[in-house]
Amino acid sequence: MSELHLTDEILMAFADGELDEPVAAAVARVMAQDPAVARKIVEFQQSRRLTRSVFASNLTPDVPSELRAAISAQIEAYEAASAAGEKRQPVEAKSLWARGAFPIQMALAASLAAVAVTAGYLIGQQSQPVAGRLAQLEDPRVLRELSRLESGREAELPVGRLRVISTYRLPDQSLCREFRLQSTSTATGAVACRTDEWTVTFALAEPAKGAEYVPSSGGDLVESYLGNLDAGNPLEGEAEVKALAESVR
Amino acid sequence: MATAIGQELVALLPRLRRFALVLCRSQPLADDLVQGACERALAKANSWTPGTRFDAWMFRILRNHWIDHLRRMKAEGMMEDVESQTHLIGDPGEEPIMNRLALAEVQRAIDSLPQEQREVLALVCGEDLTYREAAEVLNIPVGTIMSRLARARKRLVEVTAAA
Repeated sequence: MSELHLTDEILMAFADGELDEPVAAAVARVMAQDPAVARKIVEFQQSRRLTRSVFASNLTPDVPSELRAAISAQIEAYEAASAAGEKRQPVEAKSLWARGAFPIQMALAASLAAVAVTAGYLIGQQSQPVAGRLAQLEDPRVLRELSRLESGREAELPVGRLRVISTYRLPDQSLCREFRLQSTSTATGAVACRTDEWTVTFALAEPAKGAEYVPSSGGDLVESYLGNLDAGNPLEGEAEVKALAESVR
Repeated sequence: MATAIGQELVALLPRLRRFALVLCRSQPLADDLVQGACERALAKANSWTPGTRFDAWMFRILRNHWIDHLRRMKAEGMMEDVESQTHLIGDPGEEPIMNRLALAEVQRAIDSLPQEQREVLALVCGEDLTYREAAEVLNIPVGTIMSRLARARKRLVEVTAAA
């Protein structure tokens, strides 16, 4: 097979031992005759060795004791729960790390004052009446945008700036979207789900963004919520466009 | 009865941190990611099939967690902060033939690669995953793995040959 076109990818796969036998044998024959091919293969072997050395040198075995302790605690909690035959524990008190502590504690403290809404919860500061906040989230203009705005896009609305974050299909086939509504005084992260119309099922109000804002934890709570719904991976690109188009039909 | 993955998880922590660092280039953030990924893994321990590679399964969870994180960060307009954060280089360990300088050179070259090439390089050459395993972790076709990996490695050879 003298006509075998030896791309860089094929030579690399040969160097990595990833080629199937007939092709590998053909490459070996060419390599024996063509020094340029042989050199390329050697270079691919070299780059692999170099990379491995760098990664080996980055492997610091001393996992910080806080991280190790936090994960051991998680493991114990899950293993105890499964030994007791319970359903999986709600993923709640996360981030035992000090770094993420501020927003999560705010949120958990506030959740004592959580108010159940139709199908879900509104958790957050009580600086504004809960019903008012919910009304903003379920403003017809917000709901209309939820049916057409792709994830990652924004819309300026009279009730604030809407940003859609992601879209999920639940096992029961309903469509859910995570979004944020930012008004001058507050930012609210929320999830709305739809069977015939959009309903806000979860909302988490955050204090107006300060300089010390830590982004991960507010998201963690929304993430836990979505995880408990078995939301799976978000729909992206065409899958999302299609799902949105179908939902308004 | 849930599959007990605790021991394997603890054993894998150093490598999880290393891969997390490739993704986010910030040690504190990498540790947060590792913690979040462990939480997710424990919650769905039953979806791991014993006998298959545990590390590849964990890398995939870790990376999905990172993508979700990015998605929210983007919503917060915080991307630049992540990009500008620096990362740590650990102590040179094995491979005594290569001196510290040469390693630092390669490290810099790896850091200068686009993210999509860096993560493939890390999984295949750093973590010894096969092309197929890496494709499953990153959720992209094997052909894409190969083209990214070949580009990354050609670049490394160029850079180190010029040095």
